Formats: sequence, C-alpha cells, structure tokens
Amino acid sequence: MTVEDIGRRDSRPRRDEEVDVVIVGAGPSGSVAALHLARAGFSVTVLEQGVWPDYADYTGARPEHELVSTKLWHPNPNVRDNPHDYPVDNSTTDINPLMFAGVGGSATLYGAQWMHFLPSDFRVRSLDGVAEDWPLSYEDLLPFQLEIEREVGVSGLGGDPAFPPRGPYPFPALPMGSVGQRGALGMERMGWHWWPGSNAIPSEKFGELNPCVRRGTCLTGCPEGAKSTTDRSHWPLAIKAGARLVTEARVKEIEVDANGMATGVVYVDANGRDRRQRAKVVILCANGVGTPRLLLMSGGSRHPDGLANSSGLVGKRLMMHPFASVLASYEDPLDSWRGPFGQQVYSLEFYETDESRGFVRGSKWNCMPSGGPVGVSGAIGSKVYVAEEGRFQDFWGANLHENVARRFGHSLIWGIVGEDLPEESNQVVLSKDLVDSDGLPAPQIVYKVNENSKRLLQFNIDRCLESVRAAGAIETLVSTPVRESGWHLIGTTVMGADPKKSVVDQWGATHDVPNLYVLDASTFPTSGATNPTATIMALALRNTRRLIAERRNQKVA
Amino acid sequence: MSATDNASTFLALADFLIPAHGAMPRFSEVCTFDDALRSLDFRIDLKEGFARGVAVDVSSGVEPTLETLNAGDGPAFSAVSTIALATYYMNPRVRELIGYPGQENVTYDSKATQSYLTDGSLAKVIARGRKYRPTPGL
Repeated sequence: MTVEDIGRRDSRPRRDEEVDVVIVGAGPSGSVAALHLARAGFSVTVLEQGVWPDYADYTGARPEHELVSTKLWHPNPNVRDNPHDYPVDNSTTDINPLMFAGVGGSATLYGAQWMHFLPSDFRVRSLDGVAEDWPLSYEDLLPFQLEIEREVGVSGLGGDPAFPPRGPYPFPALPMGSVGQRGALGMERMGWHWWPGSNAIPSEKFGELNPCVRRGTCLTGCPEGAKSTTDRSHWPLAIKAGARLVTEARVKEIEVDANGMATGVVYVDANGRDRRQRAKVVILCANGVGTPRLLLMSGGSRHPDGLANSSGLVGKRLMMHPFASVLASYEDPLDSWRGPFGQQVYSLEFYETDESRGFVRGSKWNCMPSGGPVGVSGAIGSKVYVAEEGRFQDFWGANLHENVARRFGHSLIWGIVGEDLPEESNQVVLSKDLVDSDGLPAPQIVYKVNENSKRLLQFNIDRCLESVRAAGAIETLVSTPVRESGWHLIGTTVMGADPKKSVVDQWGATHDVPNLYVLDASTFPTSGATNPTATIMALALRNTRRLIAERRNQKVA
Repeated sequence: MSATDNASTFLALADFLIPAHGAMPRFSEVCTFDDALRSLDFRIDLKEGFARGVAVDVSSGVEPTLETLNAGDGPAFSAVSTIALATYYMNPRVRELIGYPGQENVTYDSKATQSYLTDGSLAKVIARGRKYRPTPGL
C-alpha cells in the first residue's frame, strides 16, 4: 500500500461504534500511537482536523516557490488562513505559535532537525536547581529513541561527544554543503563544538520516503517526499494494521460519564455535523496549544475549569523556545539555496549551564542555508532582519540589488534555540472573542520572554557573531527574539507524580481521568534546548508500549 | 482608471523599486504587467491591495507616491512590492544574471566519504572530549 493509494480513501466510523482507542491528532505522536496500538490488536480511530497532504501543492521545484510559500505554506495559521486550522489569538504573546493541521501534523512544515534531548534535560532540578526533574531519565528513553529513529528514517553521524555513546544512525549523514562547511570553519577557529547535522530525512530510499535531493524547501513541504513526515513513514503501515483515520474531523469535546471516566469525544465532521466517537481510551496528540485548548473546552458544568484540571495547570507552563538568528554573508559563493534546510551542522558548545554567564541552562545552534533571492532581499518575504518602521528606500532601489548581490548564494543562517524555563504565567487560555470556522473558541496565548531567556539569547548571539566573523563574514544581521518562531509548543499538561502539581503521570495518563492520555509535548516538564520532535515521538512510543502492556489493568468507563 | 493606466502606474512604481543597477536591468526591461498579473494569480490574497496600489496617482512623482502609499496603505504597498519583487526574481534572465538555478535537484553519493572525516577537522572536535553532563547517580 502506498501513500497515493490511501490518500483519498474514505474511512468513516460506523454509527455508535465503540473503539478501544480514539486519538485526537495525526501528527508525530498520534501517528506513532496509532501504528503501535493497531499492530497490537487494538481497534483505533484517529480524528484529524486537517486533510492528507497533496504533494503537488508543494511548490519547491517551481519558479513561483518563494511567492507562494510566504502565504500558502506559512507556519503561522493566522497568516495561512486555511479553514482546517484554527486561528490563534496572539494579542498577548511575544512569540507567535506555529503549527499546521493535517495528516503528518506540524512536521509538514518543520525543518526535520532531529535532535534528542541530553541527560541533563531530564535532571534540571538536580543539576541546576531550577524547574523540575522529569520522572524518567535519558537512559529510560534512549531505547525508544533509537527504535523510533529506525521508523522515521533518520540520517546522521554517530560519535558526537556532546552525547553519551548511542550507536549509529539508520542512514549516513546528508552532505554538509558549502554552507555547513563554512559554519563549521567558524566553530573550528573558535575551538568550539560542531557536528554534521542529523535530520529526519533519509539519505537513501526508505519505505515511502525518497532520498533527499537537497531541494532546500523543507520548511514549506517537501515536493520530493523525502522529508520524513508520518503521512509517509507511519500512516501506510498503520492503516495496513487496521487503524482508521478520519480527516476533516475537529474534536470539540471529550465526554465523561458520572464516574468521571472518559467515554469518547464529540467532533465536527467535514459537513459541519456533530458526531460522537465512543472509545474505551482517549488519547490527545493535538500539540501544546491544541491539547490544553480541548481540555479547557471539555468537562461541562461539572468541570468549569476544564477537564483533568484539578491541579489548575492545564494550559500553564507554556514553553516555546525563544529563538534568535544570525545571518552571515561571505565573499565566497556558498550555493546557499541548496538543502538540506534544517541543519547542515549543529553545535552544542553552549548547551550546559555555566553560571558565570549570568543565566541557567543553554542553547543549541543549527546552521542553515539562507534560501532564494526574495527571502534574502530584506524587502519582503522574510522581514526577520528588517525593522518594520525602517524607510522603504533602505531595501529597494540600488540597495535591493546590492543586498541580494551580497547575500544571495553567499550567506548562511545560524539559528539559536534557547531553553525556555516553565512559568505558570505563560499559558494557553480560551479566547473570549476569537472563534474557529466551527464557532469553537480559539486559543489565546499569554506569553512573555523571560529575563533568563533574554540573557541566554544575547550571550549566544555575541558568541555566534564571533564565530561567523572568525570564518570571514563581511556582513551580519541579527534578529532576536524572532516573533514568528514558536515551532516548539511544550509543557501545558505537565507530567509528574503529584496530582496537585501535575496533570498527567509519567505514562501520559491524566491523574483525574485514568483513561484519558496525553502523548504530545504538552507533557514535558521542561523544554530542553533541542528540537523536540525526536523526544515527542520516542516518548509517545514508550507510553504506547506501556498502555499495550497494561491493557488488562486499564480502567475504562 | 483603465487597465492601461494601471499597467503604466505599476511599471513606474516597479521601476523605482527595482531600477537598473550595474549589470542588473530595471523591472520593465525584463518583465511586463502581464507577468505581474500572472504572479498575482498565485497570491489572490494580494489582489485587493494590488488593485489599490496600481490605482494611485503618480503625477506628483513616483517616490513621494510610494512614500504616501507605504505610510497610508501598507497592505497596498506590500502587495505591489511583493508582486514586483517576486516577478522580477522569477524571470529567467534575472536568475541567470544572479546565478540562481532555482531550488534545484542535486544528486550525491550518500556513501561517499565526507571530507570532514579525512581532513582532521572532525577529529579535533572529538579530541576536545565529552561535552555532556551525565545523569546524576549513574
């Protein structure tokens, strides 16, 4: 069975049917859960508010790519304005959350940077005296990390001294290209850590995934079908195993019985009709904004503050990884439109806490190409490096030609991901004014970049400028914090052992509703500083395995 | 205002935004108003702003007209400038002049030995030793 075979298959549940498990969301975590539960013999229905991707819509190989992608494939749902997404009230946030509704989830628009967490990420309280330790360790998660990499088709080079020994990646690392080589040169001249990029992009044919051809359009959908997203890596296998996927199904409420057990969900179907999917177990995989939104919309009059919210922590502790970027231009040609886009090189030089720097925790850097002429022009497309209040003449006329001549094909971007510490004031709430296309309340983001993050980013920007100048940069442009950078949505249904201080236990089961689970990044107690998809999928696999193993002990309605 | 007037206005605005410079041609040397309209078909969200932008009176001069448009109707300025810029850099001659083949397909040998493995650069990273802090108690 291929992606093309299943892409348009209608799959509607039978009326009043009760399934073993209903999963909300067909992104990275929901797809992993669906595949493994179906293989274990569970009846599984997944409800996805978006649709299957049509790869013909990915414009990366066409001349109009830069024009189209700044709208159609913009990661901000408010800009994209697609009816399958819900809008987000961003009036009270420093950083806009970025996401995509569809089979494959927000990974449809990710850079495929594949980084697992480090040992210290699970022990921030023990090591640094901040936030909380995770109820599991790096070593607990590593076997699932390695297994999920084989399912995803990750390319990379083992032996990085920034990680404990972990064995090889499934596929050889993608070529670094001139961009990666120049980024590494600067790091080497500073005597700092760098390593060839690990990416969820196989360098060779793997299942439904084609080998990467370095098209460089990873962030706007991969027209080659090379970037690993679960519509290709997991769903063909999950459907073959018996999982049922319903698209254009927007879940509006989780239902519970008089005993407080989940009985299923109510969703709005493609025709705008309310439907009910009964289930013994409900699993939420709707990301760090969508999951708390759904819990806050559920529970009715018996749970006026939302379902599974006796702790009062649903929606709170939102972490989005404040992000800075440094664009550096060089005299030499770097062919900087070529991919892979995500990370040709990464650095963990400043990942661990050094108290002398004036902040705790650290950062991960990734070196990326700068893209096509429209993006680097500074005029439109990416306004990342342009002050909105600047004179338009600064970016047009002769300046346009000179900016493009200096940057296009000659520049790289270092992205700096900073660890975001949890604060209850940073949160997802329900908007009082904004609704989605089905009339459901939109999420509102209340988020401030904290002082620790500001110091962390400034320190790293200063170091990054030293590195790119050591490699001969003739121009540098800095953006911090980048407003359109909330790709990583973390922490809004925190896991822990104490029901008064957490929403779910270490296996993702909510303390209040034993047959209601959360398997996305909402459960992370802390954010680390690496891209979270690897950890999301590994944790989803671990917790799904537990659910399968404990199936006879699972409480149901 | 006629379609001809709109075309004339757009080309005047586009030529100010993208003039000839060095080896690079001005907008109207390589692109037409019809090219811009074809670009606009890819971005129907810009059509309203574009229509307002090309309906302005440029008799007081192109630069002050753009100043006024940028200050008073940002979406219209953005629509006109976005379409001009994207149309220009989609043009084959412009792409040839700046050396841009588009987002091309690049073949490579995935099993080829990468230079960083043989030139000693990665060995230096490894030689600098462990970076991570292990799990306490292990």
